Amino acid sequence: MVSSSNAGASSARSLADVLASHRVVVTVGSGGVGKTTTAAALALHAASEGRRVLCLTIDPARRLANSLGLDEMTVDEQEVPASLFERYGLEPRGQLYAMMLDTKRTFDALVGQYASSPDVRERILGNRIYQYVAGSLAGTQEYMAMEKLHAVRQDPRWDLIVLDTPPTSNALDFLDAPERLVDAIDSPAIRWFLQAFEGAGKFSFNLVGKGAAFLLRSLGKFTGTGFLEQVAEFVTGINDLFGGFRERAAEVSGALRSPEVAFVVVTSPAPLAIQEAIFFSDRLREAGMRRDAIVLNGVHELLPEPQAPTRELEAALRRVEPGLEPERVVDGMRRALEDERLQGVADRIESERLHHRVGDEVLLVQVPALEEDVHDLGGLARIAAHLVTPTERARA
Amino acid sequence: MPSLLDHRFLFVVGKGGVGKTTVAASLGLAAARKGKRTLVAMVNAKERLSSLYECPPITDKITNVAPNLDAVNMTPAAALEEYGMMILKVRTLYQAVFENRFVRAFLRGTPGIEAWAMLGKAYFHAMGHGPEGRGDYDLVILDAPATGHGLEMLRVPQVIVDVAPPGLLRREAERALSLFRDPQRAGCVVVTLPEGMPAHETLELHEALTKDLAMPVPALVVNQLLPKLFESGERPLLEALPAKLDEGSPIASLAKAGRIRALREGVQETSLALLRSIDAPRVTLPRLFEPELGRAHVESLSRAFD
Ligand SMILES: Nc1ncnc2c1ncn2[C@@H]1O[C@H](COP(=O)(O)OP(=O)(O)OP(=O)(O)O)[C@@H](O)[C@H]1O
Ligand SMILES: Nc1ncnc2c1ncn2[C@@H]1O[C@H](COP(=O)(O)OP(=O)(O)OP(=O)(O)O)[C@@H](O)[C@H]1O
Ligand SMILES: [Mg+2]
Ligand SMILES: [Mg+2]
Repeated sequence: MVSSSNAGASSARSLADVLASHRVVVTVGSGGVGKTTTAAALALHAASEGRRVLCLTIDPARRLANSLGLDEMTVDEQEVPASLFERYGLEPRGQLYAMMLDTKRTFDALVGQYASSPDVRERILGNRIYQYVAGSLAGTQEYMAMEKLHAVRQDPRWDLIVLDTPPTSNALDFLDAPERLVDAIDSPAIRWFLQAFEGAGKFSFNLVGKGAAFLLRSLGKFTGTGFLEQVAEFVTGINDLFGGFRERAAEVSGALRSPEVAFVVVTSPAPLAIQEAIFFSDRLREAGMRRDAIVLNGVHELLPEPQAPTRELEAALRRVEPGLEPERVVDGMRRALEDERLQGVADRIESERLHHRVGDEVLLVQVPALEEDVHDLGGLARIAAHLVTPTERARA
Repeated sequence: MPSLLDHRFLFVVGKGGVGKTTVAASLGLAAARKGKRTLVAMVNAKERLSSLYECPPITDKITNVAPNLDAVNMTPAAALEEYGMMILKVRTLYQAVFENRFVRAFLRGTPGIEAWAMLGKAYFHAMGHGPEGRGDYDLVILDAPATGHGLEMLRVPQVIVDVAPPGLLRREAERALSLFRDPQRAGCVVVTLPEGMPAHETLELHEALTKDLAMPVPALVVNQLLPKLFESGERPLLEALPAKLDEGSPIASLAKAGRIRALREGVQETSLALLRSIDAPRVTLPRLFEPELGRAHVESLSRAFD
């Protein structure tokens, strides 16, 4: 686990440095650990530092809007109003835009943009398989997220793009998407398949030979007649559509590895989440990508136990809050404290373990569990403040 | 309505991290205890069922984890192979078709096929071949991917029915769909937390399941419920308490913990009220204060499904 010079090692001392020195920041991690919150908070921080920021979520759950004080997240970018910044005592020196990915629309737009002729375009848009695939089927979302990232990256309006992602296993899909799309669309299998369908969309057996004809007939029995033709039409269309897709995918793939892109792995202090974060972080390095920071989010403070005898505690409570019944409430508070301390101890152990595991190789940032859910810009700002604080260890 | 464990096929759905796998594991134990031959199937997930059951890692080969209880972590490749075999029945035919590397690559590249292979496999384990069929299990519990991807997966059979011409594939998808939509035999167990955002998202999820996918929801599981320590009248006072204390007050940390708890109980109360609009039997599971859940914890949680 020794870092090498090309990937992994990070000279950043805080997430503020990471933000300042990158054009794209991607938050990744397992379910519910705080990826969206972290992405939004980082975007907010950068915007208040004067950058023009786009926060792009490909998360199917439409959450980001709420945290950014927008009623609803839309597929077109929306600006977080400056007045909202001011309401929370923030200085809107830059601009903050947010938007979410709409898979079908991104796909349709691609078809419109890249089809070689209006004819081809209509044929693709009218293909039944396309109509479903473009909307919802598994995998397409990652493909299109990659496309979208590629598109917005080239948009000079943004000088920082913060990209939120779905939970880990899918985030991995997302990273693999360029390669997989090339494989799926430009593989020997597909070329072979398309050859078989050349001509009027019928099996042209002389081209593929007897064995292949048997294969296609058996497959056809499985899928029903006509289905393979539909698929072939779809694949032909997509092939046309992406024309130089191989180059595009290579470009995006390369871009994900470029020094311009930073990855921030987010985890909660739960042992399983940490395990996944480490897994993900290792995967990133294997893939030649950078992992610029790990955010340990939602760490519970370890509150001390009260020292005074119970009677004194009750008296102290009675003095400041006569409205509360001292015996009952002190007892309740004790139980609440016990639960908090259990969490606090567990989190401390996990935090130590994570530090030990990643060492000084990666910037490790700790964010405390806030008392309340993050549901407004103020909450995000507080998270942001913790995120960009240089850590003890990083300074050491 | 049959009781939850008398169903043939249950999807466990919910947003990321709410406890789907924990609930699937608990349901599995409860069903097995009731004498049901049960399969808990994960969908190519980062496997964590084995830490809950305290057994060796669960792979794409079905393994026995307790009396009456098997588990598997399906992978697209293995599922496609098994599913292809179940359909084509003759191995040589299967090998000739599905093991052809061109066909393989082609199937991999066709969106939805992998999801369908895994669903189809799970379906076969529950229902076998005939229309009134019995598979190897009385109950199959499928631990679905988190919300967005879970919905995509559940949508696949309908897409196949809409897109595929009459034939084997379409017939199988139709059979699966009629099972998944039959409230007597199947349904989606929706898991949520009694917290703000998760509760809101659960309303949306429930709507998508029942309206768009026409699937029954035989249970809403509210996981990680905190026992109520304070009355609603006490909460505002507790929330304000830390700010009123002098520096070094002997009850400083108690007050802080009390405030955190009061806030959380308030959120819990509003979330539960919000969730009341979901018309489904509700099961609550307590929040366990354990760094890592194991067999004994799942056992105790599973009692809620008896
Ligand atoms: N440090 C924190 N303190 C308190 N609450 C937090 C903190 N970080 C995140 N949360 C809350 O935890 C919940 C989950 O956070 P978030 O939505 O960012 O996670 P996610 O990783 O994006 O989830 P998903 O995998 O579902 O997309 C939210 O309700 C958020 O407000
Ligand atoms: N009742 C409970 N009490 C305490 N901890 C719990 C409880 N239920 C679940 N957890 C913990 O919450 C975390 C998430 O649980 P689980 O893995 O079951 O969720 P999931 O919905 O399957 O997540 P994913 O979407 O990542 O698959 C785990 O660390 C688990 O131990
Ligand atoms: Mg998210
Ligand atoms: Mg799970």
